[in-house]
Amino acid sequence: MINDKNSQKIVDIIQNWARKQSIWVLAYGTGCGAIEIPPTMTSRYDAERLGVRGAATPRQADVLLITGYLTTKTLKRVIRVYEQMQDPKYVIGFGSCTINGGMYYDSYNTIKVLDKYLPVDVYINGCMPRPESVLAGFGKLQELIGNGEANGATKYKENLEWYRANQKKIIPNWVMPEYNW
Amino acid sequence: MQQLKANLIEHIKTSFKDAREKDYPNENRLDFYVNKQCIPSILTYAKDRLGYIHLSHIAIVDWLEDGEIELIYIIWSPEEKIKMFVRTRVERENSVMPNIDMIWRQANTYEREFREMYGIQFQGLEGEQDFLLEDWDGPPPMRRDFDTEAYADDTFFHRPGREDAQDVREAITKRSGEEIPDFAKKYSR
Amino acid sequence: MRDKATTLYIGPQHPGITGNMMVRVKVEGDTIVKATTEVGYLHRAFEKLQEKRNWLQSFTLMCRFCVPESDPMEESYARAVEAIEGREVPERAKYIRVMVLELARLASFMLWYGGQNGSLGLYTMGQWSVGDRNYILDLFEELTGGRVYHMYIWPGGVRKDLPKGFEQKVLKTMDYLEKRLGDYDDLMFDNAIFKKRTQGVGIVDKEKAIEHGVVGAVLRGCGIKSDIRIDDPYEVYDKLDFEVPTAEGGDIWARALVRRQEARQSIRIIRQVIADMPGGSFYNKIPNPQKWKIPAGDAYVRTESVRGEIGMYIASDGGLYPRRVHLRGAAYVHGITLLEDVLVGENLADISAIMNSLGTCPPEIER
Repeated sequence: MINDKNSQKIVDIIQNWARKQSIWVLAYGTGCGAIEIPPTMTSRYDAERLGVRGAATPRQADVLLITGYLTTKTLKRVIRVYEQMQDPKYVIGFGSCTINGGMYYDSYNTIKVLDKYLPVDVYINGCMPRPESVLAGFGKLQELIGNGEANGATKYKENLEWYRANQKKIIPNWVMPEYNW
Repeated sequence: MQQLKANLIEHIKTSFKDAREKDYPNENRLDFYVNKQCIPSILTYAKDRLGYIHLSHIAIVDWLEDGEIELIYIIWSPEEKIKMFVRTRVERENSVMPNIDMIWRQANTYEREFREMYGIQFQGLEGEQDFLLEDWDGPPPMRRDFDTEAYADDTFFHRPGREDAQDVREAITKRSGEEIPDFAKKYSR
Repeated sequence: MRDKATTLYIGPQHPGITGNMMVRVKVEGDTIVKATTEVGYLHRAFEKLQEKRNWLQSFTLMCRFCVPESDPMEESYARAVEAIEGREVPERAKYIRVMVLELARLASFMLWYGGQNGSLGLYTMGQWSVGDRNYILDLFEELTGGRVYHMYIWPGGVRKDLPKGFEQKVLKTMDYLEKRLGDYDDLMFDNAIFKKRTQGVGIVDKEKAIEHGVVGAVLRGCGIKSDIRIDDPYEVYDKLDFEVPTAEGGDIWARALVRRQEARQSIRIIRQVIADMPGGSFYNKIPNPQKWKIPAGDAYVRTESVRGEIGMYIASDGGLYPRRVHLRGAAYVHGITLLEDVLVGENLADISAIMNSLGTCPPEIER
């Protein structure tokens, strides 16, 4: 029905505006950053007024919040969870250790650069980031979604081989279902 | 306290001939060095007869230079309020330790960890082989001869720029046009 | 006719699990017949990293061992290093340390209030207590600069003296929190749902407690009076006046009663510490950290945290780096063998409540 460029643009704007108003975060505390999530969600900082709230299952969630270091064992679960999530989906890297390894730069069990394994839309730095910076990170993500620039999931789909090769490099025993893209 | 400690040392020495003690006069601490075969019997004796009912910790130290691994069983008596250290040393390679998880259940967790992280076997230890690691095929990682930094450099990506040692103060000055005071300049690189 | 047993995987991505771990349960109907924990999702190998970090660099790793309550780890490390080296700590530093430890304990209780009730579907408490916890974190922020990780108690004393007027702020916050604790009691202990879901659930009896080496509030919940602060006093706890509450029953309810009293005792300790706070120096200066060698020897110190006993074993070979720092957290005992034992025979829906009540903290198990 809509086949000319201009009407597609209008639909996109409305779609993006709607998407940015309600961001559901998957309740998966992958690292120590999970400790600042309860304050962010509860009365003082109250992230729900910005449309940010928790979701219990990957299928209902929009955002995968990687709270801190990822061990190789967790990375396997995180990839699986990410692939179970439905579009639109975004990844926020939370804390210094997702950016460059932080203080675990020489640990044998944690990954150092998250965006080699998963497409990260927004990074929040700090160890540990304060609730204000978490909210600022969500604000940034909303801005990106509104402008149609948060396209991590598309990037992941288009470059799946590259991501898979990186992931399989540290997960030798790959027993995971191939999801239908 | 001193009287109590002397009594305990005598008790242990009469039952276990090869126990060697070390004295810490100012602490509520007894320290014995025993053979590894004695570990279950001395711990059972201390638990049943002397009231040391709480296993506080099993510490492990890798003495790479001596080719030995030291295990320290730390037990606590709530009545006498004294800590007892029972130490033993085993060879680093192909060592088998007696299992004590029938005396205290939580020892099972420690032993599973040591089996994985140090490669020490325990007789008849139950529980899955993997404890903290998954699909690990290198040497036991907590041993001192395992180089974690080299392994991390080989295995993982590092973000470039981590080593570039940029002076943050100068970068900020350049951006905002602010002057660095003279006294602060000597701290800049 | 018996139902066929089914295996379920609870976690690691599960909102009811305290942190990042997995419990594999075999259920018949909704009764658990076998539980197996799987940990290791948070293993960062701190104790390996310490081999390449000097005594002061290792200190910054300490608080990251366990997230909800980071100060007991720092304090244990500081005390163990002081014990090996024989370094004196000024009296004022000891009082400040006790104040920080008790504030951290109180903050951790607040988080527990939220978690324990949240695991039963009572979300109002989380909004209250986690919101009020921010007032304590504000104090920490003023004192140390960080909300969660403080890196404040280090070998030789504490890092900075108290800011001006800090004591009054602490006392004011304590008055507020004491009032709020009364509100929490009305919301929690008068709640019929809370009573029904916790009484007789997750029972740890005395024999099981001894067999598993249970510590802390779980041990006190089955009627055994045991507290490291009294039994093996450290810092200035032997000069302070406080009680060790116990309760009978060993179920979640009993442990909740114990923790409810302990939170009040913490406030009492903080008030005493502020009243008795001596003046003078707060820090016995350490030498240049890059040349700081600790004589050969070892030490084992124990600290009472919210979850129970924390033990820290440190061995030094006389060098610039620690030979070995080996931590034993309370969750190391509670979170694996005891949890597997307690869960058998319980209802599937109570897993989360039991884990919260036992104080399962995966980062402390895996380190």
